[in-house]
Amino acid sequence: MRGHRDLRLVGALALACALLALAIPWTGPSLVFAAPLLLFLPGYAVTAAAFGRRQLERPQMLLLAIALSLAVLTLGSLLLNYLGGIHPLSWALLELLVVLASCRVAAVRRGNPGGPPRWRLPRPRGVEAAMLLGAAAAAIVALVLSASAVPAGDALGYTQLWILPKAGSGGSEAVVGVRSQEQRSADFDLRIRIGTERVLRRSFRLAPGEGRQVRLRAPTGGEGEVPVVATLLRHNRPFAVYRRVRGSLSSPGETR
Amino acid sequence: MARPKPTTGLLAPIALAAGLGLLACSLANALARGGSDPMLLYWAGVLLIALPVFWRLTSREASLGERLALVCLLGLSLYGVKVVRDAPLFTFSDELVHAFNADQIAHHGELFRANPILAVTPNYPGLEGATSALMELTGISSYWAGVLVVAAARLSLMIGLFLLFTRISGSPRTAGLGTAIYTANFNFLFWGAQFSYESLALPLLVVVLMAVAERGASPRQWAHEWAVPIVLGIAAIVVTHHLTSYATAVFLAALAVVYWALRRDWRWPNPWPYAVLAAVLAVGWLLLVASSTFGYLSPVLSEAFEAIFNTASGEAPPRGLFQGKGPSIPATPLPARAIALLAVVVLAAAMPFGLKRLWDRYRREPYALIFAAAAISFFATLLLRLAPAAWETGNRLSEYLFIGLAFVAALAAAREWRPRGQRWLGRGALTAAFGVIVVGGAIAGWPWDLQLSSPMRVSAEGRTISSPPLALAEWARREIPPRARFGATIADARLLLAPGEHVALAGKTPDIEDILEENALSDWELPLLRREGVRYVVADRRQIASDATRGYFFATRGEDERLLPLATVTKFGQLPGARRVYSSGDISVYELERPE
Repeated sequence: MRGHRDLRLVGALALACALLALAIPWTGPSLVFAAPLLLFLPGYAVTAAAFGRRQLERPQMLLLAIALSLAVLTLGSLLLNYLGGIHPLSWALLELLVVLASCRVAAVRRGNPGGPPRWRLPRPRGVEAAMLLGAAAAAIVALVLSASAVPAGDALGYTQLWILPKAGSGGSEAVVGVRSQEQRSADFDLRIRIGTERVLRRSFRLAPGEGRQVRLRAPTGGEGEVPVVATLLRHNRPFAVYRRVRGSLSSPGETR
Repeated sequence: MARPKPTTGLLAPIALAAGLGLLACSLANALARGGSDPMLLYWAGVLLIALPVFWRLTSREASLGERLALVCLLGLSLYGVKVVRDAPLFTFSDELVHAFNADQIAHHGELFRANPILAVTPNYPGLEGATSALMELTGISSYWAGVLVVAAARLSLMIGLFLLFTRISGSPRTAGLGTAIYTANFNFLFWGAQFSYESLALPLLVVVLMAVAERGASPRQWAHEWAVPIVLGIAAIVVTHHLTSYATAVFLAALAVVYWALRRDWRWPNPWPYAVLAAVLAVGWLLLVASSTFGYLSPVLSEAFEAIFNTASGEAPPRGLFQGKGPSIPATPLPARAIALLAVVVLAAAMPFGLKRLWDRYRREPYALIFAAAAISFFATLLLRLAPAAWETGNRLSEYLFIGLAFVAALAAAREWRPRGQRWLGRGALTAAFGVIVVGGAIAGWPWDLQLSSPMRVSAEGRTISSPPLALAEWARREIPPRARFGATIADARLLLAPGEHVALAGKTPDIEDILEENALSDWELPLLRREGVRYVVADRRQIASDATRGYFFATRGEDERLLPLATVTKFGQLPGARRVYSSGDISVYELERPE
């Protein structure tokens, strides 16, 4: 690829992007390197290989760089599916291989280096640059606003109540969970009846989005399956059942 | 002689207007989630994006580069309108199905894993395969990875259309106008922008068409160089979307026939080899990999044909325009209906001028003739909207046919219109007409009550709460072990797929719908649930939970929330060993006893 500056740059960028995208554990910075590796460089390299000595117009090159990158991703997933599986390393290696092999083919097909394609980009003046920055800032604010939850006073709040066996306990332990999705902080009474006699009571206040869990164990000395009924009451309506769920506890050693 | 220094023209102020337009749309959506009705602000935002771009494209001064930048700006900004509607969650019914597929690929490292709701989708894994690459290399969610992939596809669509129209018309001005007019197609703003396989396949089709056109215009010795993008594009379309792969084969075949009709020659540049390639690949994929596509498409098409026949013969009444499926869906306001109909009138009015210009200048150009046929066919497909089961087929076709219509309309718009001898008046009238077709197209293509977002996540006392179906999905992801299978209504099941990351069955096949909606259980129902391995049944009293586009949000005060009878929920408590393990009011989850 000696003498073909664009191909050398594309190859080096692909290598750096692949290494950094794999090495960086944070999503945002990783995306900065993964996006060009997946969405631009393979298409550029394949286009350069396909057209060899012929220089495409800039819009055509831009289009094919993006579209063929998408095609490589689409067909690449099919290839990886049959060649060892789809995972980060296999993706990075495949994309790198496509870029380096295509750059090599492009260099051979181009023959003597005649200098890389030179495309002149317009340079915005100061005011224009400020307006373009303003446009980008507006778009970012729009995205942030859209991803933000906003108050909605008319939305009807509610509360979740559930009971599930604790993972790995074989049914001898259970978890009763409450999560408030109410619009305002609220007071709750949780009553849990285990078998026919034992009753647990918990009173708590939950802010919106806040949860509380109560862990239960099967009574010692009991045999068989013990039914559990969890009832949630609200402080302002103490005689009305707000939520009720049912589960069970097995004696240790028994499985359900 | 030195080449003229490239300039950005009016790109910067127009980009600023587009940014502010997008911000207005985002603000309108935020206000809508908060309970206001900021429809005017929203449409003002859309027009602030679209009109300055079109006004500039009507001018004769803009350079090719500026026109290209403007159509890219328009395409991406209008895609932004969809993104700011519901980020950071998918809310379109098909998006949740495809997001599940992408999550499955990323988690299991393989393609073709079953999808419980749309079984055909894993057989076309192109979009999700591409999305999984971004997910795997960066750790981002399927939502943001999907948004990036669709954005890249959208960019390809806009550049591809611009280059295709430039090649056919020989005029960057006509090409810019045509590409902008394409954004007024009924599905551009929402349906075609969703995270779904067609959103990737259609742009690839446009790129293939552009490459075939460039190949035809290249000197013979260079023509073979276009083979790589054409073959890669066709192959990528075939593994991405069934209908687009058939459309590719049909379009290329039609192109080959028209080439032959005009030149009586099957040799270069006749593209028949690519038509054959597209047909062989599409049929091969259908037979070898995706045979379930027959079962998926045949009912849709046969019902559409039946509906057309019944409506035409008077056996069934025509479907009312702007009508939703249920009585609870609000009607589209009269002014909005008028704008949508006016958009069709404006497009129809452009047709004679565009067709005349096409006949005068381009009747020896195969692409132009096919575009003319597509433009005329577009108006024929509008009649399908009157047949109840055929309107969706017509709506989906319009995205393809609008490519031809956009070209013909651009030929009409590219004429020198000078009312009272004033060029600016002509440009103003054209820009106003463009505003009408952009807004009217969006109204015709997407229900009025869904143009703006509804509350799914709400801020309360500085924290975030989730709508009942979303909270159910979040609970299932957090608390229920992997590989558990749910039976649920259509909306709940989709959220259980993504972001719930669980297998959830819904709808008619298997018949979960009847099990959930009946007041009492019949003999066949428990055996069916057991046969399907359903461990958890989600009983949702909200009638809207059977609506795949509206069932995801908070109920609001003053809203007429229709509920199913209580017995539809409590009947599951009578099953031996079944227990209600989750309750959030209208939604309950019953755990079924495992069979011995």
